[in-house]
Amino acid sequence: MNISIRQLFGRKPKSSSIAKQRLKLVITQDRLDVDDRMMMRLQHELTEVLAKYFEFSMNSVQVSLKHEGNSCTLVADFPYKKAHDLSVNR
Amino acid sequence: MGRVIVVTSGKGGVGKTTSTANLGTALALLGKTVVIVDADVGLRNLDIVMGLESRIVYTSMDVIDKHCELSKALVRDRRVDGLTLLAASQKNNKDDIQPAQMKAICDKLRSTHDFVLVDSPAGIERGFSNASAGADEAIVVTTPDVSAIRDADRIIGLIQHARIEPINLVINRFSPELVGNGSMMDQADVMDILNIDLLGIVPEDTGVITSTNRGIPLVYEETSAAAHAYMRIARRLTGQQIPIPDLEQKGLFTSILNWFTRKS
Ligand SMILES: Nc1ncnc2c1ncn2[C@@H]1O[C@H](COP(=O)(O)OP(=O)(O)OP(=O)(O)O)[C@@H](O)[C@H]1O
Ligand SMILES: [Mg+2]
Repeated sequence: MNISIRQLFGRKPKSSSIAKQRLKLVITQDRLDVDDRMMMRLQHELTEVLAKYFEFSMNSVQVSLKHEGNSCTLVADFPYKKAHDLSVNR
Repeated sequence: MGRVIVVTSGKGGVGKTTSTANLGTALALLGKTVVIVDADVGLRNLDIVMGLESRIVYTSMDVIDKHCELSKALVRDRRVDGLTLLAASQKNNKDDIQPAQMKAICDKLRSTHDFVLVDSPAGIERGFSNASAGADEAIVVTTPDVSAIRDADRIIGLIQHARIEPINLVINRFSPELVGNGSMMDQADVMDILNIDLLGIVPEDTGVITSTNRGIPLVYEETSAAAHAYMRIARRLTGQQIPIPDLEQKGLFTSILNWFTRKS
């Protein structure tokens, strides 16, 4: 409410809200970008788990982070050929 | 068994030493036995901020090198019962001490004190690993500006990694006026970004500078805003439930706006 009335009066956005927005973005990146080794490990372990259920070539798994605005998404790409027949193993 | 609390920050100069001195004194004024430990080897300051610089004979380095007993290296603050200081060596540098040696000192101190407060150097390097080696808890000090908060987040990550908890935040040099006119982030903004528990807010206060000049921690004369803030934080540390007051000062314009737009 405050803000919209201020905007009616043609006020510039508060510098504190700009600071907060910029910080949120940069900290999300700081938190996630630090650890390349963790990403490699994740990719490796993910591949191991997925291999139990699906048939695919081991090197095709791609794990990456996508930043969009203020949020960050973990994306895992694994083009699989077909699912294992799990009933056989039972 | 006492609690070992490391007082740390990412960015330098945000008020770790000021906070350690005042919280240590405040806890002693509340009747606790306290030792404040300067872990800023090579750049020691806690002694001069406390006004004890002329009485330092031995440092933690002497204890590690077995030049003296730990108890002999503790300087008693004569102004209040139960407060002592363990100074850092000014001649050595951070690499001369191992984290395990700091941990051994903290473990000994905790058996004879209610609180062991460790004043850490800024940053994420060796100084931090030494200062935090013996800690069970951490207080992260930050000022409400972008670089200090960004660096605070980095140090919080390291503290979490070292499995030290709880981690509590102190926001220092808070200016109610600047928050009121929208030029400084308020406590909700900072908490939203850093996502750890808030232990207290210390306002910007010229009394901090004059008390440092004199070597008399602010909390001895409980008159200024910052002294009150530090006393409240110390009480919270002892487990008392003290609400964190809303320091924000509404400007005239905001007050009028709030009056018009207030919710019934
Ligand atoms: N609440 C406050 N109001 C006004 N000045 C303050 C406040 N807190 C700290 N200061 C001033 O800021 C300066 C830095 O404080 P201090 O030495 O406690 O920071 P520090 O984090 O220990 O620094 P370093 O990283 O170098 O060890 C000092 O000059 C101190 O007087
Ligand atoms: Mg300091």
